[in-house]
Amino acid sequence: MDGVDATVRGSVRTSSAAPPSLLTIILDTNPLSWSHLSSSLPLSAVLKTLLIFVNAHLAINHANQVAVLASHVDNVAWLYPTPDDGDASKQSSQTNGHTEVADEHRVVSNKYRPFLTIEKNISKNLRNLLTSDIPSAEALKSPPLLAGALSIALAYANLQLLKADPMTSDSASTGTGAVGAADLDAHTSALRTARSGHQFVSRILIVSVSQADLSSQYIGLMNSVFAAQRLNIPLDVLRIGERTAFLQQASDATSGVYLTYDPPNSTANGTNGAATASFSSATAGLLQTLMQGYFSDVAARKLLVMPGSAEVDFRAACFCHGKIVDLGGVCSVCLSIFCLPLEFTSCPTCQSPLRVPKSVTTKPVAFARRKKKKRKIGDGGRDSAAGTPVPN
Amino acid sequence: MSDSDNEYIEDHSSGDDHNLNVGGSGRAQRQKGSGRNATSKPGTRARWERALRDTNNEPNVVADDSRLAENISRRAEAQKRARIRKDTKPFQRGIIRHMVLVLDVSEMMLEKDMRPNRYRVMLRYLEEYILEFFEQNPISQITVLMMYDGRCIQLSELSGNPNDHINAIQKLRDGDGKDELPKEPKGSPSLQNALEMSRAMLYHTPKHGTREVLIILGALLTNDPGDIHKTIASCVKDKLRVSIIGIFARMKICTEIVSRTNGGDESGYGVATDDVDLRDLLMASTSPPAMRATEQEDAAANLLVMGFPSRTEEEHPSLCACHGELTRGGYICPRCKTKVCSLPQTCPSCQLTLILSTHLARSYHHLFPLRNWLEVSWDRVREMRTTQCKGCLKKFPGIPTEDDGADKMDGSSESSRYECPSCHHHFCVDCDVFCHQTLYNCPGCQSGPPAQVPASNGETTGDPMALDGAS
Repeated sequence: MDGVDATVRGSVRTSSAAPPSLLTIILDTNPLSWSHLSSSLPLSAVLKTLLIFVNAHLAINHANQVAVLASHVDNVAWLYPTPDDGDASKQSSQTNGHTEVADEHRVVSNKYRPFLTIEKNISKNLRNLLTSDIPSAEALKSPPLLAGALSIALAYANLQLLKADPMTSDSASTGTGAVGAADLDAHTSALRTARSGHQFVSRILIVSVSQADLSSQYIGLMNSVFAAQRLNIPLDVLRIGERTAFLQQASDATSGVYLTYDPPNSTANGTNGAATASFSSATAGLLQTLMQGYFSDVAARKLLVMPGSAEVDFRAACFCHGKIVDLGGVCSVCLSIFCLPLEFTSCPTCQSPLRVPKSVTTKPVAFARRKKKKRKIGDGGRDSAAGTPVPN
Repeated sequence: MSDSDNEYIEDHSSGDDHNLNVGGSGRAQRQKGSGRNATSKPGTRARWERALRDTNNEPNVVADDSRLAENISRRAEAQKRARIRKDTKPFQRGIIRHMVLVLDVSEMMLEKDMRPNRYRVMLRYLEEYILEFFEQNPISQITVLMMYDGRCIQLSELSGNPNDHINAIQKLRDGDGKDELPKEPKGSPSLQNALEMSRAMLYHTPKHGTREVLIILGALLTNDPGDIHKTIASCVKDKLRVSIIGIFARMKICTEIVSRTNGGDESGYGVATDDVDLRDLLMASTSPPAMRATEQEDAAANLLVMGFPSRTEEEHPSLCACHGELTRGGYICPRCKTKVCSLPQTCPSCQLTLILSTHLARSYHHLFPLRNWLEVSWDRVREMRTTQCKGCLKKFPGIPTEDDGADKMDGSSESSRYECPSCHHHFCVDCDVFCHQTLYNCPGCQSGPPAQVPASNGETTGDPMALDGAS
């Protein structure tokens, strides 16, 4: 029925060419976690690998875009594109930057210009970020601001989506003239096709290393995940180290890829030579993981079998202890999750008194086991005394 | 009593559509300029009368031609913002909803004032509505009834699976392909029968959930077997909340039903003046209703025991307990280790409610809404000196050299910046709309310390070092 709709034509026209794609990378830059990994997988090596990955992404389609965010200890910083501060500083940095780029450009004239710009921006911003101020010891242990980084990444992706498809978005939000229901449906479906990956596709790759759990940002994280779901943006997660339940749920909900990457012999404490050998193999493995697992965009993923297991840990964190539970109590008013047995009589989140159903407090009564009727010894005795009947 | 979900009249005077579906745009367009009148008191007049008044009273602004582009973009911003939910008070909301959806399948629905007719239009929007309802309320349940030829007939059982209801509606429209023909509207509706049936359907539902009835009524009559007032009284006793979507005209009895079952609040009775309106009214009821103080007392919070099963993958297919089909993988009940193939549902073996924790998380934005962002004056911009949107890095227009006295349009900011009241970061209008309609997070609050006023306060030249500290 939709086939006769005039809106379908648009999507047919554009589907012949590969849509431009935005890759947003969120890099966890917690210094403590990276220093733990420094023997096997230093940040510099990971950065190099990521840059190769980014360059590959840019090279595959000239309209492709990249954004890189760092979720640092106490703030979220843009690595690329570089945000500009104030008018005065913008001018100065621009002139500075201009000459700088010109200088560099002379030096590495063989490098494709976009690669160079991104590389320079990222390394400069990351250096600024890591050298600017040393966070306190307890701040280092706090979880990375992943919810914030995701929010910013989604806001950015949303803007790029609007930019890439201004007609749909304009008519959706601020059209003129009366629109009938049929037109309205057309608009909705046009937007849906746009979002389902015909016009502009976007994806977010999270490189996560920190050990800290994210339960403090649970609501923010989940809101971001649902927003990504709405925008049809898969959240890919590359987890270096052990599994995290929430990131896996996030990538599953948005049909992204979740892979864990274990740097080979992470407890490398051998000689120098051994360390360098493992270093190169580690980055090679990382690059291969990135390329094979995360390189395809949303449009291509429909045609590929993506890696990752179908087994997903869907357990939730309880609000009282942050414990991961698979069977919990839920407050009917505010939907907070608590672990059982309950330690309080009113919900700590919304202060409403909790009425615990009897089925939780009391143990189920098993059927009383029916006692086996003992045969009366006398009878049995007589029976057995009768002896086996013998055929006559 | 202020009650956020029931303010649909105000919603519409401001073209509000806080659902994410862009389809609501028609509304905003047709009521162009009414955002400015949003402050005018919503009178007791009928909606169509007010719409007429709005268009008549639209002030004739004599625009300065040099500012035309600016004015247009302002107006566009104001319209975008008008759709953001106004009310961000964290009400206690009925998250676990039990909803009876009553459809009018009487001959009045064959009227062709909506194309092709009211009945088809209603069915078309219903599928969308049901999907959106479960998107917003994943742990709620619906049952669908229809008023057909004086009777009330159940189409689908009370369940939390959207496909059950959508299949029922498709069957109603297209027949089941065999002996059952598609239903065509017939006879007259009976509100009393519908209410009695709804009451029976909701009788056994637990206290902690809401009991809602949504009636889509195209007819201007109700053909009741008895005294409907008695039925209304028993609905009030059973704590049903009835909301009615009428088509094209109001009925006194509907007003009475709605106001008595909603504690005197009549705003649950909406009248759709066209199909876009019908859709908007339907979609407005997808967000969970705020609880009233009286209800809150009765509905003591219950602790619900729920299981959060993990998904497993098996090498060999095995039978799922819910459908008895061979599946390779599924969800294992954490209490009795039964395998079910989809969530949410009740474990067929031990009756434990099995859901994904993400289903719970989906409702959190209703409970912890994002605060509205404030418009930023040029004075404030001079103080904060923001040049870029915190979210998307879009450049803001620069600070004008002198106050040019641009006419301010209600709802849009003169500096195109919007400030989050808690983290003081500035955002563009697109991020404002996106964050309040889709994301429900503030990117500023989630990512680090609040913005500080730059050290070189008030100076227009300023040194770059001070600005670095501010960003």
